[in-house]
Amino acid sequence: MRVLLVAKPRKKPNIPIEAERILPRTFLEGDEFTVFEGNKERRLTDLFSVSIEGEARDVSEVEVILRGDVSRVKRIGEYMDGGCILIEGSVGMHCGNFMSGGTIEIGGNADHWLARELQGGTVICHGDAAHYLASGYRGEKHGMRGGTVIVHGNAGDFAAEYLAGGSVTIHGSAGDMAGVEMKGGELVIGGDCYRPCGNMTGGTCTVHGTAHNLLPTFRKIRTAPLTAGGPPYAVFEGDIANRGKGTLFIRNYRYMD
Amino acid sequence: MTELLIRNACVIDPINGIRGETMDILIRDARIVESVSGRAEVIDAAGCLTLPGGIDSHTHICGTKVNFGRYMMPEDMRAGRTARQGGMHATSGYSVPTTFGNSYRYSAMGYTTVLEGAMAPLEARHTHEEFSATPLQDTMANTLFDGNWAVMEAVKENDVKRAAAIVGWTLSAVKGFAIKLTNPGGTEAWGWGKNVECIHDPVPHFEVSPIEIVTALVRANELLHLPHSVHLHCNRLGVPGNAWCTVDTFRHIPDLNPERQSLYATHVQFHAYGGSSWKDICSRADLVARAVNDRPQIVMDMGQVMFGKTTTMTADGPMEFNLYRLHHNKWSNHDVELETGSGIIPVYYSRKSTVNCVMWAVGLELALLTRSPWQCLLATDNPNGAPFVKYPEIIGLLMSRKYRDAELATLHPEAERRIALPAIDRELDWNEIAVMTRAGQAKALGLLPLGKGHLGPGAAADLAIYPVRIGEIDPSAEYRRVIEGFRQTLYTVKRGRVVSREGRVVVEGDNSTIWVKPRISEEYDMGRDPEFAKKFARYYTVRMGNYPVQEAYIRRSICIETEAEL
Repeated sequence: MRVLLVAKPRKKPNIPIEAERILPRTFLEGDEFTVFEGNKERRLTDLFSVSIEGEARDVSEVEVILRGDVSRVKRIGEYMDGGCILIEGSVGMHCGNFMSGGTIEIGGNADHWLARELQGGTVICHGDAAHYLASGYRGEKHGMRGGTVIVHGNAGDFAAEYLAGGSVTIHGSAGDMAGVEMKGGELVIGGDCYRPCGNMTGGTCTVHGTAHNLLPTFRKIRTAPLTAGGPPYAVFEGDIANRGKGTLFIRNYRYMD
Repeated sequence: MTELLIRNACVIDPINGIRGETMDILIRDARIVESVSGRAEVIDAAGCLTLPGGIDSHTHICGTKVNFGRYMMPEDMRAGRTARQGGMHATSGYSVPTTFGNSYRYSAMGYTTVLEGAMAPLEARHTHEEFSATPLQDTMANTLFDGNWAVMEAVKENDVKRAAAIVGWTLSAVKGFAIKLTNPGGTEAWGWGKNVECIHDPVPHFEVSPIEIVTALVRANELLHLPHSVHLHCNRLGVPGNAWCTVDTFRHIPDLNPERQSLYATHVQFHAYGGSSWKDICSRADLVARAVNDRPQIVMDMGQVMFGKTTTMTADGPMEFNLYRLHHNKWSNHDVELETGSGIIPVYYSRKSTVNCVMWAVGLELALLTRSPWQCLLATDNPNGAPFVKYPEIIGLLMSRKYRDAELATLHPEAERRIALPAIDRELDWNEIAVMTRAGQAKALGLLPLGKGHLGPGAAADLAIYPVRIGEIDPSAEYRRVIEGFRQTLYTVKRGRVVSREGRVVVEGDNSTIWVKPRISEEYDMGRDPEFAKKFARYYTVRMGNYPVQEAYIRRSICIETEAEL
């Protein structure tokens, strides 16, 4: 089943839409459901022109395509458990919250909290991700526990905060505090980052660029190439302030002044 | 003049000796009366269980500590959300809900009076502001004196009268209700990174022992003629083997007041463990219950633990630090300059943990082994043992051996060897539950003169009508129906008005705050005492003139004035 949602132009395009029901499973039951635009409840068809082609026996056969401006549409794919969502442009906040299966692919940029507390499945963002990529929400002790997140551009601050499982790969640079409070899983940053991994207790983080303002609470164990014949990486253990057992591989680093 | 006639209520009123009689209750202007006019509004209670309004004699719902729990636990705020409905505000939170969340949920369960278990005097203004946003219950605040420098100096000099004068001045200044001692001496020692082991350890610098503080304040309390007794959270909370410390404390308490107890020991479940370490912790509820059975001067509350997520918060800073070291989760600690401290951490009580299973059993054992229900009241030290919404389940456990057995079967197998609960057959009856949830509280808190806790003529018209027909239910077998029945009232009546109907709050509410003002002679008036004023100016970060809470902070004030023997 192929579901095409084309965003209709809105008079006030800045009002956010809470679209936690836009996910493959919902469309097995049709498109008769509502979402909130600000504090007004709207039918999906008021906001999107919907065309559905084909049949699906289960959720894995559903593909949802979002076209047009959905940069103010929040919570797409929340609790998604299978199938596929393709977003042609940029997407609003909280895309893929608590997702446990399936694939979300974003052609443009993603707003804050992309793949928050991901349990499984794959999220690919071809542009940049904003703050709190793949992190835990306020107060949660465990953030992402499984699945894969790939960002081809840069990420904002607090990427992979509270990461406890799964893997997060950022091909560009990350902002401040990437991987803080990490408990497990794997974080890879292609470019630079600032103050990575404070309070980390487990997992591994690799920085292929420069880690600026590295915290003094990481103990350097050795310098070794990641692969045979490759450039040398400094290997750190920490965060020792927290008796942490995490591992950091860093190409270049600069301590905090 | 508003009148209300409740027909065919099945009343249990332990204070007036009414045990399940079907009768009419007549109300005029917030009081229960003997006759009403024909124009009275009529509610047909249709044989449903009708009790005086519930009273929680120890709960944490308002104040800086509770509010800090809210800051710290955004995930708890997401756990229990209700939308705005009619006159009801939106609420959020499960173990530390918003003030309206607390108020609505208590009201739906038939509670009309609550006592905040611990208010730091210095931060009293905040507590009173939150009280004014807890509209459906009358509120009171226990005021902390466990590490009060001026009190400890008076105790050191053996001057009970001066200690009483300081307590009296502070209580009227901060609009408090009773003396609360939390780990007496321990919170002050915690300022130095230390704690007190048990009741005979000296407090650093002051060189007084916890038991000296307790006994001096028990005597001071009677000099001030306060309605409630000293409210004590014993030393050594939550430590294996602390039952002996608790019993030793009880042994030192004189019987000074024929009307009520001389000491209210709170959340005793946390103070009734045997063993010497976490590996061999076991229940010694029998020891503590026996000590209470032998001493009419002691009343305690259960401090029942129920499995699940909650938040612990107490003025007992060192204990919270130990808990933090156990859980390695977030932790808050707070020092209230010359008075006390506090700590907060989130916890999860698990059936897989032997220690947690023992804790769960100890609370129930205390209630079942204490002969008189007037001496062991029902509370969870909300939210420390469990959020108060679990009270109906606790009632079910106390009334049904079958339910206890079903729960015991789900516990960690190791726990069974360490507890006495499987051997206890006692099942409480409706009357005993009524004592443990309202009448006993009213008596222990000294609220009978205000008409709380009973339904005789002249009583305050606070009552709860539950959808339970006691003749038709066998609580021992049909405990689920008991739990469902106590979860939500058909009607909760407060000051003669229906405030909540089937769980929906129907009025904005208008609570009263009850506080005490002992009348003290000029000689002992601390407001004029040069030594007290000098130390106040020297050590406090606020001026003495700014310290008292103005009456403007109290919505409806009920001031109990007493004649102090000073």
